[in-house]
Amino acid sequence: MRLSKTFPTQEIGSLPKFSWRTKPFRQMELDDSDLISAKVWGDKLKVPRTGELLKILSKRAGFTETEKASIVDFSLLYAIRMNETAGDDLAEHRGLDLVWSGEQARTEMYETPVSNIEGFEFIGKVRSFDNKYWRMASIRSPPAYKSNYHIDELLFTQKHAKRKIKVPVTDAITIMAWSDNHHYTSKWAREKASPLRRSFNARREFTLDLAKIIRKVVRELIAKGVEEVQIDIPAASQYQSREDIKLVAESFNETTKGLSATFSVHSCFPPSLGYGILFPELLEMKNCERFSFEYGNRDGYRRGLSDEARQGFADLKLFKEYGYAKGLGVGVLHIHTDRLPSVDVVRDRILYSAKVTELDPGDLYVNPDCGLRTRRPEVAQRMLDLVVGGAEKARGELSAP
Amino acid sequence: MTEFKLSLTGLHARNEATIQATQDWERGRIDSALLAAAFRDDTASLVRLQKDAGTDYITDGQMTTAWQDSLRPITSGFSGVKRGAMVRWYNTNTFYQAPVIDGPISSDGKAIWKKLEHRFVREGRFRISLPDPLTLSELSEDGYYHDREKAMFAFAEALNGELRTLEENGVEYVQLSSPALVARFRGKPLNRDALMQVGEAVRTTTKGISIGTGFHTFFGDASPYIPDIFDSIPTSDIGFDFTQTDPEALTRTRKGIIAGVADARTTYLESVEDLKAKIELVADRTGSRSITLAPSSDLRYIPRISADEKLTRLGALKKVLGGR
Repeated sequence: MRLSKTFPTQEIGSLPKFSWRTKPFRQMELDDSDLISAKVWGDKLKVPRTGELLKILSKRAGFTETEKASIVDFSLLYAIRMNETAGDDLAEHRGLDLVWSGEQARTEMYETPVSNIEGFEFIGKVRSFDNKYWRMASIRSPPAYKSNYHIDELLFTQKHAKRKIKVPVTDAITIMAWSDNHHYTSKWAREKASPLRRSFNARREFTLDLAKIIRKVVRELIAKGVEEVQIDIPAASQYQSREDIKLVAESFNETTKGLSATFSVHSCFPPSLGYGILFPELLEMKNCERFSFEYGNRDGYRRGLSDEARQGFADLKLFKEYGYAKGLGVGVLHIHTDRLPSVDVVRDRILYSAKVTELDPGDLYVNPDCGLRTRRPEVAQRMLDLVVGGAEKARGELSAP
Repeated sequence: MTEFKLSLTGLHARNEATIQATQDWERGRIDSALLAAAFRDDTASLVRLQKDAGTDYITDGQMTTAWQDSLRPITSGFSGVKRGAMVRWYNTNTFYQAPVIDGPISSDGKAIWKKLEHRFVREGRFRISLPDPLTLSELSEDGYYHDREKAMFAFAEALNGELRTLEENGVEYVQLSSPALVARFRGKPLNRDALMQVGEAVRTTTKGISIGTGFHTFFGDASPYIPDIFDSIPTSDIGFDFTQTDPEALTRTRKGIIAGVADARTTYLESVEDLKAKIELVADRTGSRSITLAPSSDLRYIPRISADEKLTRLGALKKVLGGR
């Protein structure tokens, strides 16, 4: 699925959840500020039927399951509208080209799949960085398909989105890497092999067992009319041996085997060595039409198209070095800070990406570095505005005489 | 005769109450005093656990917000270094803010000491883990020296001042953690000359220090450095992650061994018998007089309850081995 546009724009998955979306599920009472937020954002985003939402929220506590389901549905609507209206004062033509419903129906990208795959048990929280944690699950028996955890949000999003949609699906490598590999470690513990071989075998077997389940999930999404799936592999660069990187490609190929759709891959936050550790094995993902990586995180805030000004984007040169000629999604906004670049810097990041990759600008997508769930709604919205505004400015620069 | 010791080797997982407190603090639900109290309780419980398990050293777990990542006291406390982009910490799902060198590296010698729980230091047998100069230089974005070796030695000089302060104040053991030596891109090891340079940097780091020192390698296979590592690295103990390094690769040494036998990356709890067999192999291969039973790395990659079980299991192993 190719969009007939230069520098198309896309989200990368998650958006922050409003307090009125989270509190009812934490048994917390809503206060005035939550209701005001629902009203103000509803008006700003022109979300239809917000009166219905406000009526539910005015109860403030003790929501029924039906009311909670409505609250989630409204949060999906808000997220779709946030995607489809992004640009604000920075763009003449508003809205992202590829949209999703902000993963509002998911707990988060790891917890939702492992909650819906047999064999996992949640065992506690582990710190990711600073005061951020993830709820780790332990695999205690071979994983098995339980239910399709993305169908309901897909059907809702299909019904309400006006733009093309792209469904983000967490891949097997990431689920493996973020889980406690109890079952496979114990299985391989006494095998006659070197420690390195035992631990790799435990990772590989776990990953490929998961990939089969995820393929079934994706196949069912495609059967419901999905045209594009983003395979999320934030852990692609976690294990750094050659055979581990080969496993990333093997897992992707296993997941997409025999399926007919447009597949893209998202990854982010590699080790200090950068994305170079993924090459050339990454290019063995034959079904992948686009790689969407994070670059803004490592870039400076001053304008310019020089290598020095755009040092965060240096890794993009790898694609040209390896003769890559498909699509790329460039992350132009660091998602773990509220410090925002100017729209001109975003434009320069896009133009620099086009310059060093020499890709057709129609194949160069623009996006935030990663999902925006950790930002406040107003910051996330502004980041999407910058994506749309920066892309429009870059288009203008490209078409200037 | 081998003496068997027991110790933690790095940052420990926070308990659930502390995790909740940090989240509440971030959302403005509790103040800094309550957050500090949560850390105090958590540290005290970890110290009790270490005593119950029979550790030979006590750590405070390096769990507080001063240790948001392994490098933070350095990226926050050293001159010439600032915090940069968020980067993945080796092959884990944890992240650190990369050091950005923007001037000559120096410290007042108190950057680390200020971050410790002093009351536990005063109790004695206190141990701390710090990144080694190789790891610091390799993970840095160097905008000043433009030379890895110069940056490594600059870190080593600054660390030396820190170690002197730690020793003066009663810290009894400093472990230099060196994932950088073994967790290398596609396993390509440093050559012998480069290893010697790392050894020189460690010598600079530990110059004038008489307390116990260790150099612990984890997240990778150290066998390409054996036996050279024993002669090149001037610390009393050399550590190995035996989930990655095959104990069969070990050779005889006069050094002490930090034996990372309990897999710190999974909750799968090895049996005492399996651990004992591995330790006996380490003892047999090295002939070392001192073997420290340890997790393979920091115990912060699994939830606290499981991290504590790992330590308790190592305590049971020490009892079986009889201490000596």
